[in-house]
This record gives sequence, C-alpha cells and structure tokens, in this order.
Amino acid sequence: MADTTTRAKLRWGLLDVAVVVFALTPVLWIMSLSFKTPGTLTDGKFVPREWTLDNYRTIFATDQFVRALVNSIGIALIATVIAVVLGAMAAYAISRLDFPGKRMLIGVSLLIAMFPQVSLVSPLFEIERQLGLFDTWPGLILPYITFALPLAIYTLSAFFKQIPWDLEKAAKMDGATQGQAFRRVIAPLAAPGLFTTAILVFIFCWNDFLFAISLTSTERSRTVPVALSFFTGESQFEDPTGAICAAAVVITVPIILFVLFFQRRIVSGLTSGAVKG
Amino acid sequence: MADIVLDKVSKKFPDGTTAVRDVDLEIADGEFVILVGPSGCGKSTTLNMIAGLEDISSGELRIGGQRVNDKAPRDRDIAMVFQSYALYPNMTVRENMAFPLRLAKLDRETITQKVEEAAKVLELTPLLDRRPANLSGGQRQRVAMGRAIVRQPKAFLMDEPLSNLDAKLRVQMRTVVSRLQKQLGTTTVYVTHDQTEAMTLGDRVVIMRGGAVQQVGPPQELYDQPSNLFVAGFIGSPSMNFLPATVEDGRLRTALGDVPIGDRIRRELEGVDAARELILGIRPEHFEDAELVDEETRRRGMEFEAPVDIVESMGSDKYVYLTVEGERASAAELEELAADAGAADFAGAGSNLVTRLSAESAATEGESRRVWFNLEKIHLFDPSNGRNLTLHEGRSAGALAN
Repeated sequence: MADTTTRAKLRWGLLDVAVVVFALTPVLWIMSLSFKTPGTLTDGKFVPREWTLDNYRTIFATDQFVRALVNSIGIALIATVIAVVLGAMAAYAISRLDFPGKRMLIGVSLLIAMFPQVSLVSPLFEIERQLGLFDTWPGLILPYITFALPLAIYTLSAFFKQIPWDLEKAAKMDGATQGQAFRRVIAPLAAPGLFTTAILVFIFCWNDFLFAISLTSTERSRTVPVALSFFTGESQFEDPTGAICAAAVVITVPIILFVLFFQRRIVSGLTSGAVKG
Repeated sequence: MADIVLDKVSKKFPDGTTAVRDVDLEIADGEFVILVGPSGCGKSTTLNMIAGLEDISSGELRIGGQRVNDKAPRDRDIAMVFQSYALYPNMTVRENMAFPLRLAKLDRETITQKVEEAAKVLELTPLLDRRPANLSGGQRQRVAMGRAIVRQPKAFLMDEPLSNLDAKLRVQMRTVVSRLQKQLGTTTVYVTHDQTEAMTLGDRVVIMRGGAVQQVGPPQELYDQPSNLFVAGFIGSPSMNFLPATVEDGRLRTALGDVPIGDRIRRELEGVDAARELILGIRPEHFEDAELVDEETRRRGMEFEAPVDIVESMGSDKYVYLTVEGERASAAELEELAADAGAADFAGAGSNLVTRLSAESAATEGESRRVWFNLEKIHLFDPSNGRNLTLHEGRSAGALAN
C-alpha cells in the first residue's frame, strides 16, 4: 500500500517536473539572452559567458519603451478595476436574483467570449476613428473591458454561489441595508474570487497584442507588446535581439509580482465556519 | 418588547402554490410561542414573513401595535437565529456580536460593554477573539444567540436553532434557550419540526399543516385535548395508537373488543349523515398490564388479550408492542404523518399497538398478554375530516361521557 503511494508520488513528481521544465525553458532562455553581449548572442550557450546589463540600459534609455510601459500599466490596471467592479455587480445579480432574461444575459456574455476577436478589429477601428477614440487610452480600455467582462462574470458568479445566502439574510436582520450587506459581509468573503478574477483580467489586458496594434498608432497609447514589435536598435545596423529579450523580461516581471501579491490573498476555506459544518 | 399579531396572513408564491393560508395568531408580549409541524407545513415561511425576509401576500402583520407589512427587516427591530447559525466567517466572535450594534451606530464603549455582557450570559467570554471556524457546533450556536440578544430587540425569531446539534447537546441547549428567554422576557417565536422541543419549550404551541393552523394552545392542552387526528398523531412520543372502529348497535366494534360509548357520543353518531366508520385513538401510557391494575381502576377501562411482539425496557417503564388483528386505520392525516416520519412505505402486516406499561410488568416477547386500557382517556375521530368527536366544550372526556 505504502509502496504504491510512493511510486505514484514519484510518477506524478516526474510528470510535474517535465511540465515545469517544458514551460520554463523558453523563459529562462530569453533571460539568458538578455544578459548576453551582442558578440556572444549566438554562441548557443545556456549560461552567458560574458554577463552584461547593456541591453537593459538600452531599453530604459529609449523613451519609446518607458512610455509604452506606462501605457501598459495604466491601461491594464484601469481596465481590470472597471471589469472586476462591473463583473462583481453583474455576477452578484446573476447568482442571487431570478429576473426575466437572466439566461439570455448569460448566453449573450458567453457569446461575446466566443466571438473571434480578429473579426471585430476592422469594425472597431472604424468606430473608434469616427468617435475620436482611436489611439487613446479609452480606445483600448473599452474593448478590454468588453472582452474581460464575460470572464469576470463567470468566475465571480461561481464564487458568489458558494457564499451561503443565510449570511446575507442574517446581515439584513442585524440591521444592514442591501448595500451594507454586500460590502461588509458578501464582498469580504468573495475576496478570493475578486482577486482571482483581477489576476485573470489583468493578464488578458497586459498580454493583448491584437487590439493594441490595430487601435493605436503612436506612443500616446501604444502598449509594451506592440512597442516590442517596433523595436529596432539605435541604428539600423544594430541587432536588437538582446534589447527585445530584455524588454520581454521586463514586461514579465509585473505579471509575476501581480500574481505573487494577490496569491497571498487567495486563502482557501475563507468561508469555513459560516454555517454548520 | 412587543406583541406580534398575525391577522389573516397568507403567502402565495409566484408559481401559484399557497405556502401559508389565513394564519391568525396573537403572540403576547414576552410570550414564547412555538411553530411546529412536518416539513413543508409553512412554519418557516411564516417566520420569514414575521422577519421581513418574505413578502406577505395578504393579511396584516403588527409588531407592537404597528403595521409592519412593508417595512424592511432592519426597521422591524427583531433578531433572528438561523438553523445554519449564519455567523460571519471573516469576523471574530466579538465582531460578529458587535455587528448589529455597529450598524446601529452605537459608540465604541457601549458596544464593548454590551458585547461583554452578552458574552457573559452565554459563557462566551474566553472565545471572544476566536473565529467561527475554530468553534464547536454548540459554541457557534451560542454565538448566534449572542448576536441576537446583544441589541435587545423587540422579539426573537428562531428557525430550528438546535437541529444541527447532536442529541445530547440539543437537550442541554434547550434548557439554555428556555432559561435565557425567561431571563430576558423577550417575545420569542421558535420554529421546529421536533415535537419534543415544542412540548418542552413553549408557553404555547402552534401546530401547522399544509399552510394552515391546526390548533393553538399550551403543550399539555394539545396533548390531552387534540382537536383533530393530525394534532393527536403529531404530538406525543411514541405517538398515539390509531385503530379503525365501526359503530354497531350503540357500541364500537374494534380489534380490542366492543367499546361502550356514552350518551353524548351516541347522540352525535345517531345523526343521518354521521360516520359509521371511526378511528379510535389511545395513547401508549393509557394501557397497563392487566395484572397490575387494581379493582377500582379496572372498572374505568376494559381489557383485551393480544400477542406480545417486542418488549423494550426503558428502565422506568416498558414499551410493549402488541399485534392486533385487522386493518390499520387509514386517513389522509395519518398518511401524511407517516410520510413525514419516513415510514409511509413501511406498513407491515396487521396493526401494531405501542403500549407503555409499568416496569413491573412481566410481559415477555412471544407470549399472549392481557392488557387493560383506560376508557376515559380514549379519543374518537371522524376519518373524513379528522375531527375529534370526544372533545366537548373544549374538554376531553373519553368515549363514555354523557
């Protein structure tokens, strides 16, 4: 019995290691490239022979990259906050109330999530140009919210459904208004869900390339993934590979920080002890 | 503190089902009233309507003389204890109990003082800084009570507050609830499906069935003078025995022999449309081993002989199950009670009588035993409408009454 569990553990452990290695190798490779000098860039060694921070200096020296980083952070954060707040309200209504057209609402939001985004790029381009939203922050924030909302509503309503309804009734009996009951009892309990959703939405906005390249034209609102694609060296004879790798590493860092920061908030079993058990 | 009046209160759900039908109930200030009935009888819906968690479809609800139909729960000044306790898991015991006070915007010192007072009453003081997840079931239950008593509301509503506790703790908490209610003197409405809880706790008990009130009265009155078959079968454990009885030549023919009937009952049965088939009801404790009955008592009842099926010795007395010939009594009420007890499909052959005999009885399984029963304590029911025919001017006098 103990023998089989050890063997099973070993088997799973090996599988896990294989998956992690498969997923992390490209990331590590890029990191390695970003520390290499132009001369050793193509030597095929995993550990750089000569370490340099020149690549990082280069990207932060160009206004192009710094500006794109600011755009990316600003747009992704604003879109995330709005999508999570709206999504929380919609999800709360869906999980608690029975209103006419509820199934329809869920269906439509699912439809948006399934729609191929490529097919929407041209119409969006035209619409935004007419409305003067083209190449502005709101011009990216709005489509991000639209496509992030179905995701937010889905994850959040699953979390809200887990919260016993008795808690809300108890809050009302204790003298809370509907709003107070939501803010002081339901929302703190749904916090893990809110943070999970926030992470997912943020990653979606941060990584988007399609909308960002179609709906922007200048540094005013260009985000990092797009800026990266426009990366050239100081002169046209310079090879920007090292700089691109450095930039790729830099834009991965906020995501990792974001996840690490919120992961501590995702405490499982937060609702334990609310009701019988 | 206030009285609660329900005036023809009804609840109709959008899908057309009527959960509660024309309930009239006056609960006096400081009274402890129990709503009891099988599941689906509308007792919880009634409580939720008093709380304000369900709308009232028709009728009027008054708390302290004021119509509160359209008031939100928070404006009714009543506290509720839920079956699931519904403690806020993100708050400590102290914060849980302080929550209603903080919403009422009391100042910090008053809140601390009130929470500590309530904690003392419920012996929760050492637990104040724990979270609900780290409490046992009984402790959680006490915190839920503490949250209710802390703001001294006009009334307490309790929705099966003890049914999640194990049997021993439930008995213990029953006395806690009872003592607390007497100490605070707050009007309390308590919902339960457990008739023992109903009998032991309440000043008055309201028995509900299918959304309608069957009988309201002090526990002993419901026990001694049930107004119908349903109340008779619901109250009492083990429950009343029911046997079919046929009226013939001024006597009742039953599986236990011919039972004589008094003048008043006979007059009632002589009517043109009077029922010929009745149901005879006898409580287990109104039987006795014939050997142990003295001459004086013997005259007040009659005897029969039946084979003993099972003997359960409880120490203080013996539950003896007798097998009697013939059909078992049938009526809609009895089927509903059996379904609620989960025994609808468990019929067995013939009928079984549960009797509670003195511990000295020598009844043994397998033998045939002579058993006496008290004629003054028997009930007769009309199976078509369940009415108790032996009740006269609110008094029960058995079948012999003149």
